[in-house]
Amino acid sequence: MSIALNVNAQFGRFSLTVSHTLPTNGIVGIFGHSGSGKSTLLRIICGLEKRVNGQIRFGENDLLNSSDNRFIKPSDRNIGLVFQDSRIFPHLSVKENLAFSSKHSKTRRIDFDEIVELAQLSPLIEANASQLSGGEQQRVALARAVLAEPELLLLDEPLSALDKHNKQLMLELITKVNQHYKIPIFYVSHSINELQQVADKLMVMDSGKVIDYGDIHQVIHRLNNNGLIEQQTSLSLKVTSHHQEDGLSYLTLDENQHIYLPLLPETIPSGELIRCYIYASDISITLDEPQNSSIVNHLNGTIENIEHQGDTVLVSVNCASTLFYTQISKFSFNKLALKPQSKVSIQFKAGAVRTLIGD
Amino acid sequence: MTELDLDALITTMKLAAITTVILLIIGTPLAWWLSKMKSRFKVVLEAIVALPLVLPPTVLGFYLLIAFSPQSFLGQQWFNLTGTQLAFSFKAIVIGSILYSLPFVVQPLQKAFEQLGDHYIEAASVLGANAFERFTRIVFPLTKASFITAASLGFAHTIGEFGVVLMIGGNIPGETRVLSIALFDHVEAFNYEQAHILSFGLLIGSMILLSLIYLLNHSRSPSTVKTEART
Repeated sequence: MSIALNVNAQFGRFSLTVSHTLPTNGIVGIFGHSGSGKSTLLRIICGLEKRVNGQIRFGENDLLNSSDNRFIKPSDRNIGLVFQDSRIFPHLSVKENLAFSSKHSKTRRIDFDEIVELAQLSPLIEANASQLSGGEQQRVALARAVLAEPELLLLDEPLSALDKHNKQLMLELITKVNQHYKIPIFYVSHSINELQQVADKLMVMDSGKVIDYGDIHQVIHRLNNNGLIEQQTSLSLKVTSHHQEDGLSYLTLDENQHIYLPLLPETIPSGELIRCYIYASDISITLDEPQNSSIVNHLNGTIENIEHQGDTVLVSVNCASTLFYTQISKFSFNKLALKPQSKVSIQFKAGAVRTLIGD
Repeated sequence: MTELDLDALITTMKLAAITTVILLIIGTPLAWWLSKMKSRFKVVLEAIVALPLVLPPTVLGFYLLIAFSPQSFLGQQWFNLTGTQLAFSFKAIVIGSILYSLPFVVQPLQKAFEQLGDHYIEAASVLGANAFERFTRIVFPLTKASFITAASLGFAHTIGEFGVVLMIGGNIPGETRVLSIALFDHVEAFNYEQAHILSFGLLIGSMILLSLIYLLNHSRSPSTVKTEART
């Protein structure tokens, strides 16, 4: 299944034009800065914005077709939306909020108690909205949206008001909802790190238009070149093993090379794929392989591309068929006399390998 | 209290109750519509709804008297339809009261709907709730205090009405003779003892009613209704 968007809308001086087909499986991240139109696009998809021209085709059905005045009401679209500000009904308890939603599910295939457990809401089930913290409110909002059994779930900046711990809980819950209940998710955020952790595909919006779309890692690497994000290497790697005595976990780069990072929760089994990112400014280049360094990660590779960006140079280095992006000063670049195809070593500390899982 | 006064009390209560029910039925959608309206004509409509607040009731009563008279188009249509005269009937004072008390019902409701905003309503619609359910399960419970205020003010204000009823009611005992007019009659006839009983009764009754409204509104603090700017 997929959703074919062919819409344009005008809100005052802001105009949005999107012609794009997005897959409805997995998690599609929608990235852009504030005012790029990403939240508006979600509101258009679920029908909360009515003054829209064009067509939205979801599977076999037209949700919108302005040529024959077709507009399916939001309550009939079966598309869920989790708002940035939760919007838990203040006059109902957590349980009643959830029940309000499950009443509208068509098949009731999602077990009430199971989602309550998954979202860690059991102790809060009788509480009122005013008694909940921000993180709890967002978990209720997500569980509530899931209980309506939407065919597509839209998340509008669901983590923006949360602290680090609650962000982790929510990210795990979002992944579980997608995998366990097979609910496709469109996830809007201005934080590339959040999206990097969970999205399979990434769509980038700017000034009401889609400017890039593709595999999450590839799009992030393309974004490195246009200054929209902090330059980074985005990776999906398998967990090799945990080494508590060293305080490190190992990730598999290829059969003989590992990447070391601070110990992950040991609940993550070997062989599981995790997402991590390394900022380009955290990776350095040496011409000789360093000895006796506290920096644990060093990989040998070949320079693939060099891009001058103001006072810095973005160098991409191919190590074991994986591209690593490093940002160095013009001074270092000239000193090392780097050229495409030069053999170099890159190095970075374990702590530079970042994930949003664990503490 | 004389039997005539008792009749007047019953007529007054019946008038206020019927007026309040009808006002809630027509005032709720009107208030909703005004609260969502973005057109420039909104101010004009709001002014029309608020008009009875400033207009002398006798002005409203005078125009209604003309409209209801058997010679007028409305009066004629009414006669053709029902075979009865509209002016000087109970129905006439109900219509008059509805117009006269309209702002007391519409304004608190409109304000409550505006304060509630779209946030929770949008959340309910994307969860699959239809318009009826959104109103009964989200809007009404969250604005209940304002409904109580609107109903009580509409009721109380109808009880206190004088000018409109005087103009179009005709002071028919058991039909259009309400308490305020009965009181006026007593004073005209220098029957001060009866006048005292009615005045004091109305004073105490109104006091109790208003105290109840404020008591209810305080215990049901509207803090649950948040309005946040859309981001």
